[in-house]
Amino acid sequence: MSDGAVTDQARRSAVRATLESTVLYTVATAIALMFVYPFYWMLVSAFRSQEAILSAPLRLIPEHLDLTAFQTIASIGGTPLSSFAFNSVVITVLATAIGVCATGLGAYALYRNPRLPLFTSVRYSFLLTIMYPHMLLVIPLYFVSYKLNLLGSTLGIILVMSLVPLIFFIFVQFFRSVPQEMIEAARIDGASEWQILTLIIVPIAKPVILTATLVAFLLNWKQWFPVMVLSTGPETYTLPVALISLNTEYGINFQATMALSTLTVVPVVIVFVLTQQRVMGSFMAGAVKG
Amino acid sequence: MSSSATINRSSAFSSPRVGQRNWEYATLYIFLAPFAVLTALFGIWPIAESIRVAFTDSYTALSDSPVYVGLDNFRAVLAEPAFHSSLWRTLVYTFLSVILNVSMAIGLAILLAHPRLSRGRTFFKLAIFLPVITPDVASFIVWKWMFNQNFGVVNQALLGLGLPPFAGVTQPGSAFVTLVLVEAWHHVGLYTLIFLTNLQLLDKSLDESAQIDGADRWQRFIHVTLPQLRPAITINTVYALIEFLKTFTVIFVITKGGPNFSTNFVSYYAYSKFNSAQYGEATAIATILFVIVFAVVAASYWYMEKGDQR
Repeated sequence: MSDGAVTDQARRSAVRATLESTVLYTVATAIALMFVYPFYWMLVSAFRSQEAILSAPLRLIPEHLDLTAFQTIASIGGTPLSSFAFNSVVITVLATAIGVCATGLGAYALYRNPRLPLFTSVRYSFLLTIMYPHMLLVIPLYFVSYKLNLLGSTLGIILVMSLVPLIFFIFVQFFRSVPQEMIEAARIDGASEWQILTLIIVPIAKPVILTATLVAFLLNWKQWFPVMVLSTGPETYTLPVALISLNTEYGINFQATMALSTLTVVPVVIVFVLTQQRVMGSFMAGAVKG
Repeated sequence: MSSSATINRSSAFSSPRVGQRNWEYATLYIFLAPFAVLTALFGIWPIAESIRVAFTDSYTALSDSPVYVGLDNFRAVLAEPAFHSSLWRTLVYTFLSVILNVSMAIGLAILLAHPRLSRGRTFFKLAIFLPVITPDVASFIVWKWMFNQNFGVVNQALLGLGLPPFAGVTQPGSAFVTLVLVEAWHHVGLYTLIFLTNLQLLDKSLDESAQIDGADRWQRFIHVTLPQLRPAITINTVYALIEFLKTFTVIFVITKGGPNFSTNFVSYYAYSKFNSAQYGEATAIATILFVIVFAVVAASYWYMEKGDQR
């Protein structure tokens, strides 16, 4: 009798568990789809003609691959698409390279000896800078670029974009885990500062440098406001800024907008999906420290 | 290698210890220099410049001989009803968004941390975090079209479900709601991720003993889980406050402050002043917003310090 009760109970809890799993997976999948759907709709709409979308906005698969939108955006407002793509790549890559080197070295120097004259002021200056609402910092950056004669130049845009706050915190977090004794030991052995950096720090910092580079790349790729404000013409526009001008000036062309959005988003999605663990981990670390 | 290097270098200086120290410091200064220069040129200088311009006459702000007008710009801005309503709107928007995002993120994190959801958890996390990392300009444009009356899938779906259509950005009230929803979609992934990190650190024995004591799920959530999530709640609230106070991109892309100024938030208002060359007023608004953000951050640090001492 007790045997039967036990199996009955076991069966009931097994049914309950299956039911619970089913409900959980259904809810989680529905939510995940809500987050991904806009990207999917963008992708599908880029390959469907305007008439087709008007007649059936919710269709999940294109009737046939309509590539007219990509021909339309081959030139936007007289500037070839390749120019925007080239600017995006050059500005993102160089701003990321400069930013990771300068921020990494800076965070390292601040970790090595935070109490040197001026070091604290540099730290506080940086913290003050990131507290200033970024969008509003761009307005005075326009004045500064004007005075430095950098307005409308790619170099000016690159330098302005090279300061990525999150990168600083990723490095600070990492250096906290490096024991000072290790560096002390190397110094007693007579290693120079340069040797300590290149022979000890850089090899162990390789993973964090990679993470910082990825995060800076992703964040710089999506930057648009500084690029727009510091440009004097479309010759320094990146893909997101081209998208902005398409959105304001030629807003009626829905399909072309979706095609350009797709081109702007796809590189990021590929990089992110391939490196998701690293990227999401660094956002958490940065958030906890920030 | 090392010992001979030390000897060589020591002999080069009259006082070897001090000499080596100085050289070592010089190298550290060289390491810090690029970062310091970038921060000074593109951080401190523009902030100082912004504050300076806030006290100058707009027409002369960029000239060689700017005319300083004291607090005139601040007075002018603070006297504008348009500024009052934009500040009020920004505060309401921030308040609603912070509550919505933080509570949604707790719910999502608890769902995703569920032990039964082991398979596919990576995919769910990836999906929710994707909007955080993709170019916001592109996703906001997509949302703008999704709410469009002709192309939009939102109304199509609502009609399909037999529900009344949603006015989207064509009407003041619904435009405000649209921005809250779209921004939540964009940001909630980051907050969820931070809650997930916090959930991994929970003390499971507390939950088990509460279960033995006969507490139901809801009681355990309120009295056991939620208090332990306090660090993440604080961090996320501060983050969200700063984020939503300076809301800009979504307005620029989707509503341009309209319709009828219903989404004209402070940062967009400052930008439109800047765009019409009212530099003095624009930077005065920027300075006011900066003071608000600074006060929020300072107050929350003070609150966290107090919490640590308890």
